[in-house]
Amino acid sequence: MKIKRVIYFFVFVFGGFLLIASLGFCPLPGDDVNFVVPPGWPQPNYDLSKNKLTEAGFKLGRRLFFDPVLSRDSSTSCASCHTQFSGFTHVDHSLSHGINGLKGTRNSLTLFNLAWGTSFMWDGGVNNLEVQPLNPITNPVEMDNTLESIVKKLNSSALYKPLFYAAFGDSTVTGQHVLKALAQFTVMLESFNSKYDKYVRHEAGGEMSKEELKGLKIFRKHCASCHTEPLFTNNAFENNGLPVDTELNDYGRIRITHDPNDSLKFKVPSLRNIANSYPYMHDGRFGSLGQVLEHYTQGIVSSPTLARQLRKKIRLSDGDKTDLIAFLKTLSDKQFLFDMRFRNYAY
Amino acid sequence: MKRILTVFLLVHCSIAFAQNKPNTGALKIIVHTVFGKEQLQLQNREYANAHGDSLYIDEFRFYLSNLKFSTTGVSFWEPDSYHLVDAADKDSRTIYIKNIPAGNYTTLDLMLGVDSMANVSGANEGDLDPVKAMYWAWNTGYIMAKLQGHSKVCKTLHHAFEFHIGGYLPPYNAVRNVRLPLQQVTIAAGKENILEINADAAAWFNDPEMIDLSKTNEVNMPGKDAMMIADNYADMLSVETGGQDKQK
Repeated sequence: MKIKRVIYFFVFVFGGFLLIASLGFCPLPGDDVNFVVPPGWPQPNYDLSKNKLTEAGFKLGRRLFFDPVLSRDSSTSCASCHTQFSGFTHVDHSLSHGINGLKGTRNSLTLFNLAWGTSFMWDGGVNNLEVQPLNPITNPVEMDNTLESIVKKLNSSALYKPLFYAAFGDSTVTGQHVLKALAQFTVMLESFNSKYDKYVRHEAGGEMSKEELKGLKIFRKHCASCHTEPLFTNNAFENNGLPVDTELNDYGRIRITHDPNDSLKFKVPSLRNIANSYPYMHDGRFGSLGQVLEHYTQGIVSSPTLARQLRKKIRLSDGDKTDLIAFLKTLSDKQFLFDMRFRNYAY
Repeated sequence: MKRILTVFLLVHCSIAFAQNKPNTGALKIIVHTVFGKEQLQLQNREYANAHGDSLYIDEFRFYLSNLKFSTTGVSFWEPDSYHLVDAADKDSRTIYIKNIPAGNYTTLDLMLGVDSMANVSGANEGDLDPVKAMYWAWNTGYIMAKLQGHSKVCKTLHHAFEFHIGGYLPPYNAVRNVRLPLQQVTIAAGKENILEINADAAAWFNDPEMIDLSKTNEVNMPGKDAMMIADNYADMLSVETGGQDKQK
């Protein structure tokens, strides 16, 4: 009798252990780390062979992305200015603010399809996705920190050291590994399942209305030479005829190249998820798509570096504008905006 | 059992043999940071530059990369050759190079700075890790050399001057190729040979361009000024001794 009880006890304990262990092997929704090159897209620019995506690396990058430990006073994380539901930008803030509520001079960019980016930031000053986070980390009005102090903090963290070991086989945290982990998360932020994408792929859910189709036609005529499909950017820098804000005096790419031909030029942003990522332009001066179209039809300021495509006035009727906006809304990718893998699990 | 042990020992020996490349030697390069003829002392020693301004040096760091040793018909490139030398860090001033084929070398070619490949390849490791604070965030690229200090002629906060020199894109590529003639550095198998190099911070302030610290005291981005200072420091390296094997 007693022996039977002991056997039952062991079966119970051992069985329970097996059950828990097997759960550990079940993939959670956040675990699918599979970078995709969607059909018909160009090859990505980012070299994934030099930063092999792993579940551990992706999860570490995600944790770092949401962790305010990256800022000097542990107040501000990457996610503070890059929220998922807006396409990873700072929705409703024309100029993004960071530590102590200090304001920057530019509107935070969206984060998706970054593997196809050829340069980063509004002025293209950054040449590789991996080193992009150094900007917000060191900017005095964003995180006001240094990579050295982050590495020091993480190296004294009992939580992070095993995570770095799991991701890179080395529990000593290095600057390189912090940046590679962040890149593993950000490179996975892919958006290619909007209604427009399904329309192009002839998939269910891609049925466009008459207005949306008319809008697509207008888009391809007036907008697509810069906002080129399928990425909806040509990765170039253009002056889109905005009058200079005399308080900010931001002349864009010339700061990087010192080339007068680059005066007033800014990166052409992707229009994917555009309806969710307001406000618009490098300084967030427009709050609605209606205002943006107003600018392109009525507000262009001529200057020597103005984009060639904008030298001739764009004429759109009110109906055209409505159709164009209807089309732009088909670029919202709910699957991406609500993808469970990109949520904050750690906090 | 004995047979297994024998096989194991044989395998072990052959591996050990493979690792110990027979016809190669090692070289220890010691970099002395100096100001003119004196050993450089950071912060508390007053110096004078060619223009006659008195000054103190607070920080002196630079990259040596792509080291290549040559003699007639033979060249040896150090693999992954990136070394950050820091006047404040003794360890960084000693560079060990292993597996150099034995021979009498007469030339050392190297870059003062970091090649463009390393500037575009994202987050690098070791001495190139951006954690070393030799990296620009907003305008990607390495700070190839840094000289900071203070001088009462500088009308700046704390009388500071700050030269952060870099830039890898033409026309403002701040890399400088340096060729150092060696008095026959002999690399002999199984020996550690020593080469001593001086790096002279005084060279930053003149030849070809005289620097007046009251006018030029802050250079921290790629461009014409960075090119001017890089031209000045291009001749800051010189060989102290060489030729005799100093066995340790």
